[in-house]
Amino acid sequence: MNHLTLEQLMQLREPGLEPGVSACRAHLAECPQCQAEASRLDQRSARLRALPALRPSRDHWPALQRQLEVERRRRLMRRASWIGIAAAAGFAVMMAIRSSHAGSGPSSQLAIDEAKARSRQLEQLIQTYNPDARVTDGRTVRVAGELEDRIALVDQELAAAGRLASNARDTQVLGLWRQRVGLLNALVDVHMTRASAVGY
Amino acid sequence: MTDAYVLADAPALLARARAGDLTAFEQVYRAYEVPVYNLARRICRTVEDAEDVLQETFFEVCRSIHQYRGDGSLWGWVRTIAASKALMRLRRNKYRDADEFEEELHRAPRNDSGLRMDLEAALERLPETSRAVVWLHDVEGYTHEEIAGMMGKTVSFSKSQLARAHTRLRRWLGEEPAA
Repeated sequence: MNHLTLEQLMQLREPGLEPGVSACRAHLAECPQCQAEASRLDQRSARLRALPALRPSRDHWPALQRQLEVERRRRLMRRASWIGIAAAAGFAVMMAIRSSHAGSGPSSQLAIDEAKARSRQLEQLIQTYNPDARVTDGRTVRVAGELEDRIALVDQELAAAGRLASNARDTQVLGLWRQRVGLLNALVDVHMTRASAVGY
Repeated sequence: MTDAYVLADAPALLARARAGDLTAFEQVYRAYEVPVYNLARRICRTVEDAEDVLQETFFEVCRSIHQYRGDGSLWGWVRTIAASKALMRLRRNKYRDADEFEEELHRAPRNDSGLRMDLEAALERLPETSRAVVWLHDVEGYTHEEIAGMMGKTVSFSKSQLARAHTRLRRWLGEEPAA
């Protein structure tokens, strides 16, 4: 039998028996030259495994963290939008039902409408600014993320407010819409301050 | 495959990471940052590509951490994501056989019998696909079946690429048997 090829030597290292492997194994047991070649093959693989680990030239965690926070914020915003829509729809239905009955307070309803209009204006302002398309530092992302989390909570409470008795409802709904406006104002400030700081 | 990188208290850490705790996720990142980068750098052509693979890998790990069931080792799961991303990048950059053949014509003159280089340089000199296969098989411990699956090729392709890689390494390292 001729000396084993590199392919045959490699085949011997693999698990499982293929046709001709036993003949190769028998040759290897007898042939010092093939044994030396097999040993060189093993040593080469061992030397590859022993190569020092290459390390990144800089820390990539801060950039990754920013990327992850942006992703998280997008998810929250999407969720908050749906909750907001649901809350607004629920509220509209509730108002429609209420307006068919006597006794609703026109002044508090007016205040709620004003707060809702202001809330819409601020959301449009943020959309126009489009923070997701801008370069943002980690601190801004964190603060904005916290504000968005709180807005999402207010939206959840607005959705739940529809289940309250009518007397308590107006007061609570107005308070929540005002809270939402305050948070959106803060969010606008965060983005605008950041924008002016970097010269947008 | 052996689990060379074991994460202390992995179940608790994973539970926190799944709940969106970024400090827990940072610990996962710190544990596997170097081996993931090393794998990516050994497969990809440039530092920039390897760094992109590093980021893409951990972004993917974070997004799909809830899909990790704990059946195999965490490192094995992270490594497979990293290897797939690195191989995807090779395909995206068109480091294909045709390019490699072209590249080889420029890089490896036929008469290189007098050539002798160290292992790092020889590995770097290998065509992209051969280098990826030799690294995944000999160092990371993947089987030919697993490599073929990740590359979208046949088992025979993986075996022949490994043989080609070793034939070249043997020549460039001056380890050819005496005639």
